[in-house]
Amino acid sequence: MASTDISHEIDWKGGNRPFQARYGKLMMWYFLVSDAFTFTTFLVTYGLIRFSSTIWPDPNQVFNAMPFLHGVKVPLGFVSIMTFILILSSVFVVRAVQEGHRLNKNGVLKWMGLGILGGIAFLGCQAWEWSHMHHEGMWFDRNSLQIVPKDFSPTGEALTLSPAALEEAIEDGLFTEAQVTEMQANGQMKKAPVNFTNLFFFITGFHGLHVLSGIILNIIAWINTAKGVYQRRKDYEMIEKMGLYWHFVDLVWVFVFLCFYLL
Amino acid sequence: MAHDLTDEQYNSQVSAVWKATLWLSIITIVEVAVALVWYYKLGSDHKLFLNGFLIIASLLKAFFIVGEFMHLNYEKRALTLSILVPMVLFIWGIIAFLIEGDSIKNLRGLFN
Repeated sequence: MASTDISHEIDWKGGNRPFQARYGKLMMWYFLVSDAFTFTTFLVTYGLIRFSSTIWPDPNQVFNAMPFLHGVKVPLGFVSIMTFILILSSVFVVRAVQEGHRLNKNGVLKWMGLGILGGIAFLGCQAWEWSHMHHEGMWFDRNSLQIVPKDFSPTGEALTLSPAALEEAIEDGLFTEAQVTEMQANGQMKKAPVNFTNLFFFITGFHGLHVLSGIILNIIAWINTAKGVYQRRKDYEMIEKMGLYWHFVDLVWVFVFLCFYLL
Repeated sequence: MAHDLTDEQYNSQVSAVWKATLWLSIITIVEVAVALVWYYKLGSDHKLFLNGFLIIASLLKAFFIVGEFMHLNYEKRALTLSILVPMVLFIWGIIAFLIEGDSIKNLRGLFN
């Protein structure tokens, strides 16, 4: 952070450097602050709607599918893997930023490349999850889940049933078909609110869009690194900025994970 | 901008990042484990304690990501404050809108 560094003088034509940070990095930070507000308004809306609903699906019973393990129920298993992938991807990008500080081009290429692969893996997982849910009859303005509140449940616990889970419950003898029809008629088994699917697909979709744009920008930065653009400048600030954005995407996922899957 | 990093500084930064990774992984695993144990053993009883724990654990994760990965622990204090102080609005936002949501639910019960 030597004050003799010429690029700083170019950054801030006014002279003084606020917070001794560089222009690009500072502006990225303030963009992220505004983006944090956007995401928070979405999540607060989710909270308001969930608090105002009399019934809500239980995430442990909604998100329990695993690819390649058909019929096996692993509550929160797949989404934990997704979370782990995104954390690791974030770590790889931190390593790329550190190698950038050392002007180690090959190190940046290696770690940034791994970070991009992690991002693509995360998006792939999300695509699988979306398509699985769509297959079960969940989409914007469409929710196939049915909820049996605690008081009417044969197991003594509230049930959230997808069409497949309901079929299974009938096969296992939890209900008979006639009972199901009766429970639906007298409101003991209710359709889950479409607010749930709308909010889920909108908010995870908005996050996924951030991941996608992050991947694209990271690929551009990777290509520039490979071409030696930053090496010639002796400056890997671009990698640092992209790193900030990428970590922010990871940060938002922590709270999306909390709100949709854990709470 | 630190191409004047010494090897020692570099090594300590690298190990700090892997340490933060370890913490993030442990917290995530504990979160999921606690949520599942609660789900199987206690069902929907005393959810408030579980949710309180999960929120605190998530904030801790946020601290590691912002502090270590985004390097905010090492920036000038004024920069950190200029980023974190606006977030105080969220506290009001979350409380106010959740109370509002609860009130809507009660009104629904009244008019249905």
